[in-house]
Amino acid sequence: MSIAQVISVINQMEADGVVARYAIGGAVGATFYLEPLATLDVDIFVAFRHQAGQVVVSPRPIFDYLTARGGVVEGEYIVLAGWPVQFLPATSPLVEEALAEAVTVGVEGTPARVFTAEHLAAIALQTGRAKDHARLLQFIEAAAINAERFQGLVRRHGLLDRWQTFEQRFLQGSS
Amino acid sequence: MTFDLQRILESKRALRRSLAQRPVVEKLALLDVLRDRVRVIRAAAAERAATMAREAPSEDHAQPRNP
Repeated sequence: MSIAQVISVINQMEADGVVARYAIGGAVGATFYLEPLATLDVDIFVAFRHQAGQVVVSPRPIFDYLTARGGVVEGEYIVLAGWPVQFLPATSPLVEEALAEAVTVGVEGTPARVFTAEHLAAIALQTGRAKDHARLLQFIEAAAINAERFQGLVRRHGLLDRWQTFEQRFLQGSS
Repeated sequence: MTFDLQRILESKRALRRSLAQRPVVEKLALLDVLRDRVRVIRAAAAERAATMAREAPSEDHAQPRNP
């Protein structure tokens, strides 16, 4: 029962053409750059294959594929190797870009595609819950993001106001 | 060991840096361990909350009813 097993299953699902592309986000994605962050689930962002005549994108093919391989559906999650996994569509230009520019990291010979640190930080800023702010602070304190690249994302995706508020609230007087 | 807050905070930062620099495969294995711990803690907290709810007097009993 390990997260590495989950990654193997998702890789195979992509290779079998169920999704066009996947990338790991959330706390598990952040763990690729920071210290391990306790979490109870795995967030997998996916680009779906578009089918003719289909207006609403459905996660059904993913659930069908994975339940046929031992996955168990629990509400919005599917449990793989003991981990509840949530599949999330790219619903904003920022997440679409994060998915397109995600990087591949080897995990003992298994490739794992994960959002860049800058995209994870920008998504945390955009999402804006308390735990997202805490995560963004961790990225900054650990110097895990390229400041220029991050600022570029902030500008391009209309996050300047949020960033200024975040700076005033959490960073003023800290340097 | 010391109660010097600055040294305590610095040691925490050092631990976090050290954990962050571990190989990804080790960090993912730690996620598995952390998740198991969080589940145990959450289950214990839920059990405690349920016990307290069972043992707390209900409002019906705690307050006299109007005739």
